[in-house]
Amino acid sequence: MASAQVIKRAKYKTTVKDPGTAGVLKMAWDRFIFTPNHPNSASNLDVEFRFIKGHKNTKEGSNKPPWLNLTNDQGGSYIFEFESYPDLHTCRDFVGKSIGRSGETPTAASGKTDASLPDEQISTAELELRIKLLRENSELQKLHKQLVIGGILTEAEFWATRKKLLDQESSRKSKQRVGFKSAMISDIKPATDGRTNKVTFSLTPEVILQIFAEKPAVHAAFLKYVPNKMTEKDFWTKYFKAEYLHSTRNAVAAAAEAAEDEELAIFLRNDDILAKEARQKIRRVDPTVNMEADQGDDYMHLPDHGLFRDGGKDIIESQHELYRRTLAHDLNRHAAVVLEGRTVEVELEDTRTVAEALAKLKRVESANEDSDGTANQGILERIARITEIEDLQASHGPPLAPLCIKDPRDYFDSQQVIAVKAPAAEGKKCNLSSREAYGSLRDSISQTKQMGLLNPVVKTKDALQVFNALSHDISRTKYDVGKNPQDSVLDKLPSTTKEQLLHHWTSIQELLRHFWSSYPITSSYLYAKVNRLKDAMSQIYPQLEEIKKSVPAHHKQHVSVLVRQMHQALDAAFQHYDADLQKRSAKSSERPNGYV
Amino acid sequence: MASAPSKLYTDDVSLLVVLLDANPFFWSASSLPFSKFISHVISFLNSVLLLNQLNQIVVIATGHNCCDYVYDSSSPASRSVGTGKLSALSVDLLEKLEEFVGRDEKLLKKEPEGSIASSLLSGSLSMALCYIQRVFRSGPRHPHPRILCLHGSQDGPEQYVAIMNAIFSAQRSMVPIDSCFIGAQNSAFLQQASYITGGVYLKPQLLEGTFQYLSTVFGTDLHSRGFLQLPKSVGVDFRASCFCHKKTIDMGYICSVCLSIFCKHHKKCSTCGSVFGQPHSEVASEPNKKRKAGDT
Amino acid sequence: MPQVKIIARNFMDMVAALPAMKLDQLYQNAFICEAILRSLPPLAKKYVIQMLYIEEAVTTKSIEEWVLPDGLSKHKVAIDRLLQLRIFSEAFDRSSGTSYRLNPTFQTNLQKHITCGGVLPREPMPSSITARLPSLEDLAVFALEQWECFLLQLINSTQAEKMTNISPSMMRIFQRGLLTQRDKEPPRLTESGFQFLLMDTNAQLWYIIREYISNSEERDVDSADLISFLLELSFHATGEAYNMNTLTEVQRNTLKDLADLGLVKLQQGRKESWFIPTKLTTNLSVSLTDSSSRKEGFVVVETNFRIYAYSTSKLHCEILRLFSRIEYQLPNLIVGAITKESLYNAFDNGITAEQIISFLQQNAHPRVSERVPSVPENVTDQIRLWESDLNRVEMTPAHFYDEFPTRDVFEAACDFAREYGGLLWEDSKKMRLVVKTDVHMHMREHLRRQRQ
Repeated sequence: MASAQVIKRAKYKTTVKDPGTAGVLKMAWDRFIFTPNHPNSASNLDVEFRFIKGHKNTKEGSNKPPWLNLTNDQGGSYIFEFESYPDLHTCRDFVGKSIGRSGETPTAASGKTDASLPDEQISTAELELRIKLLRENSELQKLHKQLVIGGILTEAEFWATRKKLLDQESSRKSKQRVGFKSAMISDIKPATDGRTNKVTFSLTPEVILQIFAEKPAVHAAFLKYVPNKMTEKDFWTKYFKAEYLHSTRNAVAAAAEAAEDEELAIFLRNDDILAKEARQKIRRVDPTVNMEADQGDDYMHLPDHGLFRDGGKDIIESQHELYRRTLAHDLNRHAAVVLEGRTVEVELEDTRTVAEALAKLKRVESANEDSDGTANQGILERIARITEIEDLQASHGPPLAPLCIKDPRDYFDSQQVIAVKAPAAEGKKCNLSSREAYGSLRDSISQTKQMGLLNPVVKTKDALQVFNALSHDISRTKYDVGKNPQDSVLDKLPSTTKEQLLHHWTSIQELLRHFWSSYPITSSYLYAKVNRLKDAMSQIYPQLEEIKKSVPAHHKQHVSVLVRQMHQALDAAFQHYDADLQKRSAKSSERPNGYV
Repeated sequence: MASAPSKLYTDDVSLLVVLLDANPFFWSASSLPFSKFISHVISFLNSVLLLNQLNQIVVIATGHNCCDYVYDSSSPASRSVGTGKLSALSVDLLEKLEEFVGRDEKLLKKEPEGSIASSLLSGSLSMALCYIQRVFRSGPRHPHPRILCLHGSQDGPEQYVAIMNAIFSAQRSMVPIDSCFIGAQNSAFLQQASYITGGVYLKPQLLEGTFQYLSTVFGTDLHSRGFLQLPKSVGVDFRASCFCHKKTIDMGYICSVCLSIFCKHHKKCSTCGSVFGQPHSEVASEPNKKRKAGDT
Repeated sequence: MPQVKIIARNFMDMVAALPAMKLDQLYQNAFICEAILRSLPPLAKKYVIQMLYIEEAVTTKSIEEWVLPDGLSKHKVAIDRLLQLRIFSEAFDRSSGTSYRLNPTFQTNLQKHITCGGVLPREPMPSSITARLPSLEDLAVFALEQWECFLLQLINSTQAEKMTNISPSMMRIFQRGLLTQRDKEPPRLTESGFQFLLMDTNAQLWYIIREYISNSEERDVDSADLISFLLELSFHATGEAYNMNTLTEVQRNTLKDLADLGLVKLQQGRKESWFIPTKLTTNLSVSLTDSSSRKEGFVVVETNFRIYAYSTSKLHCEILRLFSRIEYQLPNLIVGAITKESLYNAFDNGITAEQIISFLQQNAHPRVSERVPSVPENVTDQIRLWESDLNRVEMTPAHFYDEFPTRDVFEAACDFAREYGGLLWEDSKKMRLVVKTDVHMHMREHLRRQRQ
């Protein structure tokens, strides 16, 4: 597997801006040692991997040099600049393994740091997934460009909040295995070109596997003759010659040909292996099963049973019995193989390997079948494995953490009690006592009961006024909002302004999400992140103002409403930032060198 | 919050569940007397029944302390004979309403402190939804249900959670909640309810013409709503109430486990019991302070 | 022979076709107003209700303001209907354009109905006199039996086990159009007869009632009176007894006929006699609306073309026999199969594939009606395919023209025929064309003109 240690040339840097000290990085299974080229340099390192909690690296193709950043559990970091990306990858993989190993006995704290500081160890598959997502979603791409390429967020931070998107994407892939086609191989129709007497059979690895599975004799012959006695091509030519003879239903000709060619005879004769298996099976059949067909099974009215070849029609003399295969044989064997499913898991490239794999499997099976119980067990297992048909099953919902409300009654009771008790805080003064209030309500009910309803309920004048007012309202909203009443305010704005606003809105939301989730600040990493975020947000602030100024006067009001919301959200963040900073500076006087 | 997509109905048979505000404290201060209001409402109910023989009406009275069914056009018991002046419906409804007001009064524990008390809207909304669920389960061919809130009392912020739950449940089962608000200020609850469920929120300008509002706007069956433009409310107040003090807030803390809303930082979620992170402990379920913003 | 299409709702067309005077007279009765209101399309209903208390004319513009672009056609239909039935009257003003006003009689009647509720001209009899009223279930059974018995007699007089009391002359009126009888052969169902059988009960009922009313003048009964009585009847409560002595002589005679159809049950007490409306009566006004009928189906169709009909009715069996091969009948189950032969039989009789499919869908058993589609797709497709098999060759009477003197004349003739939509075939090389017979006369005129 991996070599026990890795030695690479690298530059060690304390910070990103540090020019770095050239030297040799040696990574052993439990520690890494950095020896500077210049023996006088102070940056001699010897760190055990168990203190390393995370690692990041620059991406190939980005304009940065190949850096590997190892973070230790105190929040500090070691940055190495390698000479090439392959070097970086070797070391990164090594570090990944080493950390994984030391993480097998993790302390409680380490797990959490990992969670808050996702490392950059991603598989190529995941990388592809990310690229695909970005390509499909232009909005996401824009955001990614602004935030990640702009250096406000790291790649990992950006994707950490989008785990769900990635998961969804990856879970779409199907694990389902493709079974055998239900079409019978004997239906491989020979193609004739009509002019010459040549008959062409087309053969694919798929078909070969199926032939092997359905015809053990062919399988055995293949193993025996190819490639020692004949080439694969010759083998198949012979096979199809035999097949062709079968399909012409000329048993006499078949017998004649078999007499001449020994190998050909194998294909034409009844399959001995099959016959043996069939006898075994017959022994196992429950004799009480009623095999009588009922009316529903009637296929008789279909010409030729819908099959290419019909065994029912040949009438052959008994001496050629040997060379006759019945349709029922073929059908049964085919059905059995299809139901059994695909059991060989090799790439369908080399026929020889396929044949051998199948043979191996057969041996295993026959060993199993010695004891009847295990055989049944095997079948059951295989069925369970094969019948996992995903596209027919309901989709599994996303895993849910069950919400536990301690005592649901508490929740509703408290609601109820407050609802009954608490009066609203404000409102018009009601100058009646409850008794008077109830009394007057009851009076008006009984009054209605006696007097009947108002007649007419509405005066014509009022009715018309209301109707006209409503109609007017409707026509006004139609006018205001444009042709489609479902349009929102945004659609009225010039499209550039609209796009800008929307873009700012999404980026503000993204920034805010990261901003708030970084609190409370527990590491220098988070501290730096918050600072970056704050700077980015304060850049957006004036941009919003500009948009507000640039729009035409009649849109100004709508835009300012929208912008105000964003400003408010940003203000809240800044406020929190300042408050936090103050608290921090008060504390840091006690601990001067707390953070970078 | 997208409004619920409306189902496509092939006919205009409707089930109208009317939530009638019977809060005495509201009506004693209202500019429209209850006797006039109930005339408008009963006429409207009659006209809905007139439109289709299969139309069905359920009236739920919303009191200050309780709520109850006061009329159900499908129940066989409600077939008392109309007098010359009143239809059978009005006789039934008024009778039940009177009983209801008496019951509501008995449940009153103490005088509301000198202000208009809210009605138990959450209760009557839930009852309406229960009724509708029963109708849904009655078979494949049921009338198309909608809820109409005839409400005037102020919102009770303490009912926020229950009402929001009812609203979302209505949205899930695609039942639109129409609201005709006859009180002085707009009701944020009902605005949200109508917005979320795809119903109509309307505050009549001319209370004398209530019937006209009801018949023109709220009489429209769900089938016809596919072809008609109904009034749209201009601004909806999307602010939430906090769970701890039932105050309407602009910005607050949300429990990341059960989404309960609080106006200030708590150590523990009062709803689900999750322990919130302290500034220096690193618990995953820390509350995110987030602005709830309307998506206008 | 022009194709007869039976549409159930055209009863209202009949009402709309009444002279203005009679229509206004009808609106004197609050119940007729209600029944007619219910028969309107949903949008029209809304327009009526919103205009209920507006006594002035309302401009078209303010009504159209509410209509979404998708609903314009529905809006037009609604307004047309209202104008046809004279519920809306149209006025034109140069300044404000067209405006509508509600028919005043109609308006006051509905207003009254809304505030005071409707009061029937007769009240149910107290239970002290009518000692033993049939239960609602019994009544439903009675109505169904009576109706099926009538239908059986209608389509096949020999099959019916017991005869209804409907006079043979009346029966012949009903059978008109549904059955044909050539001399001495047993009567055969016509195309419309088959279509009639596949309609749902309410539609059938209205067809019969329509025939009954259109025939009323022959019996010296005013059709408007009859319509108003029938509509009024539909508002009586099912299962209550109403005294016969509240009726006029004509109405009493009508009621006897209706009893034979299963619309009412007549009972005789010691002194008085009364009638009890059944569900069929109360459904009369319901079925006028667009609402689909809400009754339970009984047919299950399987993908293997088998039909299982959970029904005891002989009529259902007869209907199924129209397009399927009945294989066996159990006490409560009819099993059949849809075969090519049975369908060709149906097509020969003028039943269309769509009618068969819609019958199967409308009567789908509750268990399968929840599913979409309620009838397996392969079955419906096959039924349609078999039908289209028959339509491969279409016969069109046509005329053949040739020997045109010049190419110009020929081309002019082609254009002319194309304009009339009658050009079937042309051969420009040899200057020949084939034109539908309908256009032949015009064509001849045209050619004559050309020659001059």
